[in-house]
Amino acid sequence: MQPERFVTSIAALQHTEHTSVFETIDQVVTLLRQQRYICDRKLATVIFLALKMNKPVLIEGPAGVGKTELAKTVARALNRSLIRLQCYEGLDEARALYEWEYGKQLLYTQILREKIGSLFAEMEDLRAAVEYLRQHEDVFFSEHFMVRRPILQAIASPEPVVLLIDEIDRAEEQFEAFLLEVLSDFQVTVPEIGTIVARHPPLVCITGNNTRELSDALKRRCLHLAIGYPDEERELEIIRLKVPELRENLARQVVSLIRRIRAMDLRKAPSISETLDWAQALVLLNADQLNRELVEETLQLILKYDRDVQQVSAQLPMLLESGNGTARLTFDNMDLREQQERYRTNERAYFSSRREE
Amino acid sequence: MDVPITRFVALLKHHGIAVSPAETIDALQALALAGVDDRETVRVTLRSTLVKQCQAIAEFDRLFDLYFSLPAPSHGAAPEAPGDAAVTLLPDASGADVPAAAEGARAEIAPVEIDTDRTTRAPVTPEYEGVDLSLFGQHLLLQQRKDPGQDGYKPTFHVNARHNPGMPGGGELSLGDSGDEIDLGGAVEALLADLRALEVDEALLEQLEARLAGGLTRLPELLRRYRAREAALQHPRTAAPAPPRPRRSYRFSDHERRQMDEIIRRLGRQMRGALSYRRTANRRGRINVSRTIRGNLKYDGVPFFPVLSNQREERPRLTVICDVSLSVRTTARFMLHLVYSLQSLFSRVRSFVFVSDLAEISTEIERSSLEETIDRVFSGEIINTEENSNYGRALEIFYERYRSAATSRTTLIILGDGRGNRNPPNAWILEELRRRCKQVIWLTPESRGSWGLGASDMPTYAPICHKVEVVRNLDQLGRVAENLVRSSFANRR
Repeated sequence: MQPERFVTSIAALQHTEHTSVFETIDQVVTLLRQQRYICDRKLATVIFLALKMNKPVLIEGPAGVGKTELAKTVARALNRSLIRLQCYEGLDEARALYEWEYGKQLLYTQILREKIGSLFAEMEDLRAAVEYLRQHEDVFFSEHFMVRRPILQAIASPEPVVLLIDEIDRAEEQFEAFLLEVLSDFQVTVPEIGTIVARHPPLVCITGNNTRELSDALKRRCLHLAIGYPDEERELEIIRLKVPELRENLARQVVSLIRRIRAMDLRKAPSISETLDWAQALVLLNADQLNRELVEETLQLILKYDRDVQQVSAQLPMLLESGNGTARLTFDNMDLREQQERYRTNERAYFSSRREE
Repeated sequence: MDVPITRFVALLKHHGIAVSPAETIDALQALALAGVDDRETVRVTLRSTLVKQCQAIAEFDRLFDLYFSLPAPSHGAAPEAPGDAAVTLLPDASGADVPAAAEGARAEIAPVEIDTDRTTRAPVTPEYEGVDLSLFGQHLLLQQRKDPGQDGYKPTFHVNARHNPGMPGGGELSLGDSGDEIDLGGAVEALLADLRALEVDEALLEQLEARLAGGLTRLPELLRRYRAREAALQHPRTAAPAPPRPRRSYRFSDHERRQMDEIIRRLGRQMRGALSYRRTANRRGRINVSRTIRGNLKYDGVPFFPVLSNQREERPRLTVICDVSLSVRTTARFMLHLVYSLQSLFSRVRSFVFVSDLAEISTEIERSSLEETIDRVFSGEIINTEENSNYGRALEIFYERYRSAATSRTTLIILGDGRGNRNPPNAWILEELRRRCKQVIWLTPESRGSWGLGASDMPTYAPICHKVEVVRNLDQLGRVAENLVRSSFANRR
């Protein structure tokens, strides 16, 4: 790359800088924390870059690790409104981008009929009338008759916004293709009107559950952020923040048990949202200690498949024992590197797995 | 700083991680914005801009550690103001103290100084600091030139020149096989002279000079390490042949998986193409308001001709019967995988395996993963796989128990070589199934020529099926699946 070109592009970037409050990476961390979202520097760096470079962020990771929550929190922290587009199979432009309001168009033509009639009364011949009409045809294909769907809303918004495109892998690949224009240039082309360019480039967050491979074209335009399960301290911190009523020792037990369960080979490992649900439930049940009966009764909250529940309850005595610190068991006995390795394999297994079930 | 980064990108590509030029530019911009003084920040910045495949993250981390590993922490002990040299010599990304020489370029290029994570690292000797700077810092200082044609200051420590002869920007400093004997003094003198010629800030130069003078003693060692690192990077893991896969495992290798994914993606695209998500006009269905109004605008909006449209039609069904005896095992494995990857496109996929007995494995697959199930099938847990295959018996069991899996919407796929070991072929069952199903497709790994040899029932079965395909490898399988998809969705518009 030519250094000169690089220099100019950076300069251009600095010009288009908008009124964000995220000036440094550390600031991102603190501001998100103020909004009750615990994140590491890794995540903050990507968000920081996305804002500075005006690039969409593609967030991938297991369900329930806070992908959607991240977008919401960033919106709150930036004091921007959040526009959300939930993707589903069969989502099309009419739902995502814009649609013409035929009913309204029709109503207007009917109401305006007399006015139109009187206008044309003065025309000498048909040719002139057609000519006259042509000059005014854009009246009926103006933004006035357009229903703005989330993406167009985000583009046309007078204020900078955060656009969340949730679970993009649920939509068809065609949908991705038509997102490309929006993502790279922040503009939308409506054949009848022209191109609408964003006044303020929105911060676009795209989340995916990795149920299918997204197209390379889409990925190329995004910054990529893979969120995995948090480490022990961070998870504890999240519990303390979200469920402050839970006693400290119980919170520790919860986290360590959850982490042990995650290390098992399960169909759906419990993620942060499950941890929080569970913590909440324990508060409601007035628990002061994790014991076998209690865990067995509430296991349904963290595991979503019967097979997983059975597998975990079978090993529960062992899992709990080591959790209470009386007997040291496999997972604790592994040294730290081994543990990390184990986690990483599990995470990698998640990230490399396709929809197989 | 683009040289180290583009080299890193080349390295990523070499190791099979696809990076486009646009992404490289993104990475450089991002580095300039995020700053390069924290190693982890640099890692995240590069990862988020360069690596978009979740599977590639581990490999990226490995390469990052290797590539940006040069000055290792545990060298020397003198705790003399760690980082002071780098801070003064290399302005941070904000460009606060940019050297005067670079005012033309305004030093938008942030320095790469990735290798020294001074906040967490044990302090290193000042000499060492100097050398470190010479390798990466100089890259940067020299990148800030305004005239790319001006080559007066070439002799930097581009030691990599020898290893990558094709690489642009390689320096004149060539090393013999034993880097230790090289006299670097002259080269450094020349470099400093060149820097002076470039009118770099005097103070800066003096500092640099001082650092280099001290660093020269360390240089040979550094070079040796540099080359060791290069060697490590040059020979990716392939150098050490991976241990052969354990025989018992029927899991897919990475290569197979990739090839498979490619086929599936291609198919998926095609099907999604065939299966437009627009509603189609239809004689039955609900009134489609917008199209009705649009179509009747010529009648003043009075809906003389209502346009009706339908949601999608029901998706076709698929039933797969696989022979899992040894002779067709590989093909069966791929077939099952393929079918289940395409599952979302069919409303119901049911799969059966047989050797002599026949069993349904659909629920099994739903309960655990496909690979696990295949493992279990092949290890004989579900049906006895040691027996001789008996097509007639398997067909009979299917007809007796699972007839309901063959309806007029079903495409029935049978996978096997048709070698029933002289057992009665029960061809009438296949005929019956053909009557019930929309389509019967037989896939065999044997080419037509060898059907006549030995006890093959293929000549009997073949004319009954709608289609018989020879499938010997993944590509052929992909093609068959493509045709299948096309014919299943052909009359849907």
